[in-house]
Amino acid sequence: MLEFIIISTLNGVTYGLLLFMVSAGLTLIFGMMGVLNFAHASFYMLGAYIAYSITRTIDFWIGLLVAPLLVGLLGMLVERYLLRRVHRYGHAHELLLTFGLAFIFEELIKLFYGDFPVNYSMPAYLRFPAFSLFGADYPFYRLFIGLVAIGMFVLLYILLSRTRVGLVVRAAERLPSMAEALGHNVPLVFMGVFGVGAALAGLGGAVAGAFFPTNPNMALELGVIVFVVVVVGGLGSIEGSLVASLMIGVFSSFAVGLNWSLARLLDLVGLGDWARELGGLMTLTLSSISGTVPFLLMLIVLLVRPAGLFGERN
Amino acid sequence: MRAMTTLAVAAAVLSLGAAEVKAESLKIGIIESLSGAQTSTGRLFASAAQYVIDQINADDGFNGSPIEVVEYDNAGGTTGAADRFRQAVAEGVHIVVQGASSAIAGQITEDVRRHNIRNPGDEVLFMNMGAEALELTGEKCHFYHFRFTTTAPMRVNALVSAMSEEGDLGSRVYSINQNYSWGRDMEEAIRAAAEAGGYEVVDSDLHEVNRIQDFSPFVAKIRASEVDTVMTGNWSNDLLLLMKAAGDAGLDVRFGTTFLDQVGNIANAGETAVGHYIAHLVNLELEDEAWVQDYEQVTGHVPVYIEPQTVNAMLLLREALSDLDFGGEDIDVTQIGLALEKATLEGPNGTLSIRQEDHQIVTPVVVSRIDEGAKYAVDETQWGFVPVKVVSAEEAMYPVQDSCQMDRPD
Repeated sequence: MLEFIIISTLNGVTYGLLLFMVSAGLTLIFGMMGVLNFAHASFYMLGAYIAYSITRTIDFWIGLLVAPLLVGLLGMLVERYLLRRVHRYGHAHELLLTFGLAFIFEELIKLFYGDFPVNYSMPAYLRFPAFSLFGADYPFYRLFIGLVAIGMFVLLYILLSRTRVGLVVRAAERLPSMAEALGHNVPLVFMGVFGVGAALAGLGGAVAGAFFPTNPNMALELGVIVFVVVVVGGLGSIEGSLVASLMIGVFSSFAVGLNWSLARLLDLVGLGDWARELGGLMTLTLSSISGTVPFLLMLIVLLVRPAGLFGERN
Repeated sequence: MRAMTTLAVAAAVLSLGAAEVKAESLKIGIIESLSGAQTSTGRLFASAAQYVIDQINADDGFNGSPIEVVEYDNAGGTTGAADRFRQAVAEGVHIVVQGASSAIAGQITEDVRRHNIRNPGDEVLFMNMGAEALELTGEKCHFYHFRFTTTAPMRVNALVSAMSEEGDLGSRVYSINQNYSWGRDMEEAIRAAAEAGGYEVVDSDLHEVNRIQDFSPFVAKIRASEVDTVMTGNWSNDLLLLMKAAGDAGLDVRFGTTFLDQVGNIANAGETAVGHYIAHLVNLELEDEAWVQDYEQVTGHVPVYIEPQTVNAMLLLREALSDLDFGGEDIDVTQIGLALEKATLEGPNGTLSIRQEDHQIVTPVVVSRIDEGAKYAVDETQWGFVPVKVVSAEEAMYPVQDSCQMDRPD
């Protein structure tokens, strides 16, 4: 049992940290602009593909460095030339625009890289077990993903709460017109934040794409979960994102190992056999619906705290 | 006035359309996932079908004119498929081709059945290229549905027999599959083959389809159950992520798989994939080199994944059509169905034919191992599919399901 708890926690935490890497940018952008960026997971995918191209031609580490920069730049262009134009028409237009962008990015990737997963993988010298636990190797790269995510969180947190830049950003977020009246270039701040948010997703893609398959569906696959993270954590809250990511990671990880079902619950009152005869929902095990755990969590959080765990507007 | 003109034009166009239908050419509608998550597979079904149709048209076509192909994008969902099917019928399609996803095939085959009941004399035939759910030739079976791929018992039995001959099966097996018709079929087949294979199914999992990003919790569970072999019908990311997670954790098990030949899998899994098994319909190494080369010349790549089986299916259709002659008159789809039942195709591993009772293709199954030294290395790696055993059609076939009650037209 101890073995199960330790391994599940470890797996859950590293997966949660990956989720955080992608969702941090999304929640940042939302907090700033009030826009749910549907193309956010596409930036994650672009990061992976750009890093793949650079890894193929130059080097893995350079890819890791350049991919976020390029994706960040693209994010800025998107904000400057697309989002800003529709901004005055309201959030619905911005939302639809990012929704459309997601499709365009996906088709563009298919156009250039084909429909199939590409062979983006970490260099061989990173492919080693970090340590052995109960006879199971724990891959170093998983730790690496986790460390990058933690580093990112610390940097972001310090930047937002301890520096002058962070002060301006937070001011522009809360009272844009006041910040503007004080002489700050608020549109520039918006562009910068959007760029940084995209770059974070790009970094996530560059790091995680080498571990998970890099294919044209990766945006779709992660996109939904990332939204769940942001909603559970509270829109706009970086800390909330981190907690929500970790919760989702750990809960899903534990759900797999637990063969709980309603029938087992009814065993306690002696109705287990009856329930097993009924079958259907009664014998559905938790492990078979582990992918639903994040959504269940979202449902509960929305019912109890509609603004999310760390959300401000309750 | 304006409306009247539009009406008149519309009527003219319609009558034009009607006039065209008179000199009837065979119309094949490919209702595939041409956008969305399953694009990669859907596109392959479409291009492989097109390859053979182009050959037929290069000869004489059928019924005095070239076969027409129309591609419909079902966008990867059953609703889309139902819509596109209605559109295809409205546009006069005789034969529907589809392969990616059992769920979509289930929708189409029901639509086809209903359409045929309501429109006697104007039937549509469904060529199912890749949907393997047993119910399609079980309770959902009908005369106008033909399945040109294997089912879970065929693949599992072949895997079990080849892997135990190679001494790679062991006595403890873990079954992990996707929680829908196909995955459930697989789990049942794995349990059913336990006695013949001399193994015990220690534990089993059904998980959601392509929604899990992190398989390491499953790998932890597999390790805890101390098995020799993991059998899975997973495809796409669910297979790749599972095998990568197992490889990264240093899990020492043998995988018996069914869709490891999906393009990009070997490159992505890398060394992790080596030594594991796959049961599939065709291994190119055993095929006639001439057609492989021709295919490469026409399409730019050697046939991969489900392309060979789709080509075989279309060749069977060609065989069926060659026995028919409607003399340029209306095409009778029922006659095509009857001819398809009798069509045979000589392959390198034996004869392909259609089982009359449930319209399941009778085909040998090949078990291959991922290794170096294969004739066709895949995904720009040094690895490929080395044939291990050919399980003959007689051995691979499973009994007709009792639930199949087919109303025959004759």
